Amino acid sequence: MTPGAGPEDASLVRASLAGDREAFAVLVSRHAQSVLSLTTRMLGTADAEDVAQETFVSAYKALSRFQFSAKFSTWLYRIAVNKCHDALRARRGGMVSLDADDGEEIAWKALEDDAPRRHLERIELSWELDKGIQALPPLYRESFVLKHVEGLGYDEMSEILGINRDTLKMRVYKARTLLCRSLAHLEGARR
Amino acid sequence: MNHEQLAQRFVDQELSAEERIQFVVALGRDEALRERVLELERLMLGASRLARPSVPEGFVANVVRSSFAPGAWDDEEQVRGPAVGRSRNWVIERLWAPRALHWNLAGAAAAACLILLALSGGVAQALRWRAASTVASNEPAAPPVVLVRLVMVQPGAKVVQAAGDFNGWNPSETPLQPTADGAWTVTLPLEPGRYEYQFVIDGEQWIGDPFAAEQSDDGFGSRNAVLDVRPPAEGLL
Repeated sequence: MTPGAGPEDASLVRASLAGDREAFAVLVSRHAQSVLSLTTRMLGTADAEDVAQETFVSAYKALSRFQFSAKFSTWLYRIAVNKCHDALRARRGGMVSLDADDGEEIAWKALEDDAPRRHLERIELSWELDKGIQALPPLYRESFVLKHVEGLGYDEMSEILGINRDTLKMRVYKARTLLCRSLAHLEGARR
Repeated sequence: MNHEQLAQRFVDQELSAEERIQFVVALGRDEALRERVLELERLMLGASRLARPSVPEGFVANVVRSSFAPGAWDDEEQVRGPAVGRSRNWVIERLWAPRALHWNLAGAAAAACLILLALSGGVAQALRWRAASTVASNEPAAPPVVLVRLVMVQPGAKVVQAAGDFNGWNPSETPLQPTADGAWTVTLPLEPGRYEYQFVIDGEQWIGDPFAAEQSDDGFGSRNAVLDVRPPAEGLL
């Protein structure tokens, strides 16, 4: 979550607390894609949008307890992660859906400005990687997504998840190992 | 530190200067290691390039409308702490709250068998109870707690600990208590889920649980025991 141009997040939070709807809309607009990205990777497309919306509504209701010494994005990620946990608990026992159409959409978006053969490889990798991420155990999935899809450092991840750095590293290592294995057959097929 | 661990830390740029030199030397000699690093780098590049979902039209407006709706503040949201912290608090609150304990007879019977097996080694997964809260039923459904007993037989050990996903792989948080017959035990309140763990003997020797129902390769040349904690059956509530 990178702040865009315009007022700092903290100023927007203060204005939102004073009842400024426009300020809150700017905050939501600024962070919507990051939250949606996290919920999509964690839950698939079936619940991602609803959970992302719930994240922001919950954040608004709790805004008065936001600590201005913290990063707004870190606080928001924490709410989003908890919402994802709730959604995963609610669906426990059921199958995690993999929406093939969405995978195709994501793959096609990766086509821009690339040579044809590499386009094909990237479509395959993107689709397979998305599928592999969805198949990871949730604890490994959230660590991998925060680290490598959202690009966070271990310190911020530790703040969001409340888990020490060494454990997070271990989970990321394991996620990478599992994903490498699941992608290995794709690499083998290319040779 | 083995090459796999060095490779993982290398791609995270977490090696010290000395470790980097050692690793680069190893890379020059070991083709498999070069392949491994390349594989990890490709994976990380692929993940960073995954397309981000576009924000649906009307998303922002819907959120703002719901947030500013009359009465939205009536149901004041409790923003929880980090997921694990929240879970621990929840467990602690439930452990101290008045509640009824119902035996899961099937689980207890299975536990008795498993404890017998433990006489020749280590075993996890034993007693399962459902902590049925006495709080009003219209409270939001909270995950049940399942009490799981880990058992390890190590008559010669001075200290036995457990490290796993349930304690952040920190053995000092979960010491096992010795029994008269050389077994070591600890009971953990866990939410249903999948946990990997190992035992640590005398602070040095990390070993899996040979009697665990499932084992998992930890990617570093050893095996983690896998504990699949399931919610108690509805009929036992």
